[in-house]
Amino acid sequence: MPDRANLVPGTLELLILKAVSLGRLHGYGILLRIQQISGGALDVEQGALYPALYRLERAGQLDTEWGTSDNNRRAKFYRLTPAGRARLRDATEAWRRTAGAMAAALRARADEV
Amino acid sequence: MWRRLRHAARTILGRNGLRDEVAGDVQFHLDARAEDLMTRGMSADAARRQARLEFGAVEAYREDTRQAAGLSLLSDVRADLVYATRLTRRQPAFACAAIGSLALGIGVNTLVFSVASGLVMRPLPVDRPDQLVTIQDGSSEGLSYPAYRDLRDQNATFAGVAGYRIAPMSLEHDGTASRAWGYLATGDYFDVLGVRPAAGRFFHQDEDEPPAESPVAVISYDCWIGRFGGAMRVVGSTVRINGRPYTVLGVAPSGFVGTEMFYRPDIWVPMTMQPQIEARSSWLESRLVRDIFAVGRLRPGVSQPQAQANVTAISASLAREYPSTDEGLSFKLAEPGLLGDTLRTPIKAFSIGLLALATLVLLMACVNLAVMFTARGADRQRELAIRLSIGAGRGRIVRQLLTETLLFAVVGGAVGLGIAVGSAQMLSAWRPPVDVPIQFDVTADMRVFVFALVVATLAGVLFGLAPALKASRTDAQAALKDLDPRAGGGRRLAMRDVLVAAQVAICFVLVAGCFLALRGLQSALTMPIGFEPTGVTMVGYDLGLAGYSPARGADFEQRAVEAVRRLPGIDHAAFGDTIPLYLNESNTSVAPDDRPDLPPSRRVGTARYEVSSDYFTTMGTRILQGRGIEASDTARAPTVAVVNETFATRVFRTNAPVGRRFKDFGHGDDWVEVVGVSEDGKYQSLSEAPRPAVFEAIAQNYQATISLVARSSLPSDQVVAEIRRAFERLDPAIALYETQTVDDMLGLVLLPSRAAAIALGAFGILAVLLALTGLHGVVTNAVAKRQREIGIRVAIGAQPGEILRLVLSRTLVLLGVGTIAGLLLVLLGSRVLASVVYQASPRDPLVLVGVGASLAIVGALACWAPARRALRLNPVTALRSE
Repeated sequence: MPDRANLVPGTLELLILKAVSLGRLHGYGILLRIQQISGGALDVEQGALYPALYRLERAGQLDTEWGTSDNNRRAKFYRLTPAGRARLRDATEAWRRTAGAMAAALRARADEV
Repeated sequence: MWRRLRHAARTILGRNGLRDEVAGDVQFHLDARAEDLMTRGMSADAARRQARLEFGAVEAYREDTRQAAGLSLLSDVRADLVYATRLTRRQPAFACAAIGSLALGIGVNTLVFSVASGLVMRPLPVDRPDQLVTIQDGSSEGLSYPAYRDLRDQNATFAGVAGYRIAPMSLEHDGTASRAWGYLATGDYFDVLGVRPAAGRFFHQDEDEPPAESPVAVISYDCWIGRFGGAMRVVGSTVRINGRPYTVLGVAPSGFVGTEMFYRPDIWVPMTMQPQIEARSSWLESRLVRDIFAVGRLRPGVSQPQAQANVTAISASLAREYPSTDEGLSFKLAEPGLLGDTLRTPIKAFSIGLLALATLVLLMACVNLAVMFTARGADRQRELAIRLSIGAGRGRIVRQLLTETLLFAVVGGAVGLGIAVGSAQMLSAWRPPVDVPIQFDVTADMRVFVFALVVATLAGVLFGLAPALKASRTDAQAALKDLDPRAGGGRRLAMRDVLVAAQVAICFVLVAGCFLALRGLQSALTMPIGFEPTGVTMVGYDLGLAGYSPARGADFEQRAVEAVRRLPGIDHAAFGDTIPLYLNESNTSVAPDDRPDLPPSRRVGTARYEVSSDYFTTMGTRILQGRGIEASDTARAPTVAVVNETFATRVFRTNAPVGRRFKDFGHGDDWVEVVGVSEDGKYQSLSEAPRPAVFEAIAQNYQATISLVARSSLPSDQVVAEIRRAFERLDPAIALYETQTVDDMLGLVLLPSRAAAIALGAFGILAVLLALTGLHGVVTNAVAKRQREIGIRVAIGAQPGEILRLVLSRTLVLLGVGTIAGLLLVLLGSRVLASVVYQASPRDPLVLVGVGASLAIVGALACWAPARRALRLNPVTALRSE
């Protein structure tokens, strides 16, 4: 897969929050959802997902419950809490600003300086 | 908020749950991924492998996740503990040995240090005890009362000087008399010590001005509670002491036991009452009777050397002023609490010796732990490598090992503490089988316990961690591939060899101590003591307490011994003021007829006994020349005495002193004629050098305190019962005390030898146990490591002898080196050992041979099982096992 990008550090949690904001998901589901919404362009190391998930849970931004997966297995499902929603909002806003600034900076040409 | 709480609760309460949750979560992920891959046509196995590969380092991520979830240190420690316990259960022998070593090392040290601090390091329980000093004459003598008074009045360095003397008395209340132990104390006694009464008041200097009588008393707290039920009305009431009314002024505070550490007195009476309390003529004006112990409180700012200079000057001036009595007087300061230096010096030497040996036991336990943990660390290199390779952190592994060591330390420490506290309690509850209220106060010293625990734990950690760290530094793959565990291990093994050799050396020293103590006890038991104790029963009685006059008393004593002689089954009976090796002793100084004007310092000090006729036959003391004391040696007959051989050579410088005369300065100016010579014996202690002793006729020197001895083949109980009945017929008011066999009485004399034998015997056994486990570990390890080599050798036809040499040669070298080192240590440390056990020399060939033999047995036992295993090794299994 030639056009896959490594994750910018610190963005994994943002991606998880975004994925979960679209609906209740289990861990593996979150991985699939991230791949889906990024068009398969972002490479998440699978194992790295879990420390991040538990960190978010501990911070009260994700809520968990045990449920049954599509293929009838017991799985732990993650859902956004209000705190998580607020964090997603703030972080999205911050990311947009950063990304916009970065894009503008990288667009700059010699005559504009 | 609620969610947070719930999460926190889950983290705290359900650590295992959360742990499972992480595992379940990860497992679900792996399964789901594998299924997805399978739907794309992968085989089940390939899919699972691929899923794990994509996931990354499973173990590491699990660990990270757990930490992210807040399952931090605490739960890891718990997991470590569970793991450690499981490991321990799998290796019970290792666990027992490690915990046993720790427990014994820690327990023994705590106990010995506690005993030593209880014996010699504890100050008297009074105000500012560091200011108190005992003032004695020379190295162990007391002061005469006049000398005490001069010291008190002339010194410039003491805030106060008190004098005291231990005295038994008869205390009567509610119509019954019982024996009580107390002190005759000078008036400033309580003021110098600085204690406050629990009730009433103490007596003071103005109430103790000899010869004015002052019948007042202070009772101890224990006596107040025990004999008077703690009633307040006791204060100010009248009790009868030795038949005479005394006013109880007050009660001493709880825990105050006076000026001697082990003596629990009931009562204090002013010194001026001495003639009445001791039922003998006053010696308060005699400079020859040195029966006072003096304790002084230094003035603030005065140092011990200053005070010493001061008392030296006073004793010198007294010696000049009273040359006929005080010549040679030399006051010396000593620490109070153990009869000046009389008891302190030997007890201190004994304690220091024991401490040195106990330290060796701790050292040995540490070495043992080091050996065991080193071996274990080496054995576990592979296991650790595996854990490292699946992603366990280095810190995590170190923590795991620490947890294991600490688990052992905690369990071993707890057992050790139990040993120490239990034995200390037993010792405190123990009372020596004597009439005097002696009690040792031993409490387990927590500082020592913590020290021993920390040292032992450090040893384990240090030596357990070193190989583990090495393992964690090595490349995991290399360690796993490296099937030959000997590779690169040369230095580690050398370290362990040193440890084992050291262990053997220490073991040698401790076992030598054990053998020496046994030899000492044996020689004490078989040593000639100048009489035949077996079959002799003694009873004590005191006519002074019963109010007899000397004339009536002498008559009674004679009638009593005759009544006892008439009893059925009594072969011989006699009496004296005391008997050799009994607590009660009497000394005097004499000058011979050819040099009657010897100055006091050149007179010969001698033990003195006042005895009746038939004394020597009853005690079984041989008369070598002349005759013993006979019934004809009455108060009206010429004054006579029997002397021992040492007396003859020291005083008369001859072997045939019969017919010669000497002056006994304890008795006045009469010449005493020698009528017989008895064999030498032991008089004060078994370890003493030969001493002069003189036996005078008790009919010529009346004594009110009597020890009556009877020789009989009947059981002692029966003899005592018969004697008791005989006394009841003579005078029912006389109480018999100290009824015991002379063998029992000697039990106390043998106590030091027995204590040494028990303590050192225990050390020796400990040492053997520790050495056994250490050596056994080494040999077992050697066999296990070289299994393959042994297997190959057996397969190509090696003889059992060659296999044994292979397995044991190293151990034998270690044993040899350790033994030689131990031998050198024993010879170097023979002075320390000699302070613990007397009558035995560390150079005793029997001891050295015994120790060598013991170590050989230890070595053989340690090698037996592993060597057998090596010999029975089946080459096929051995080769397959790796």
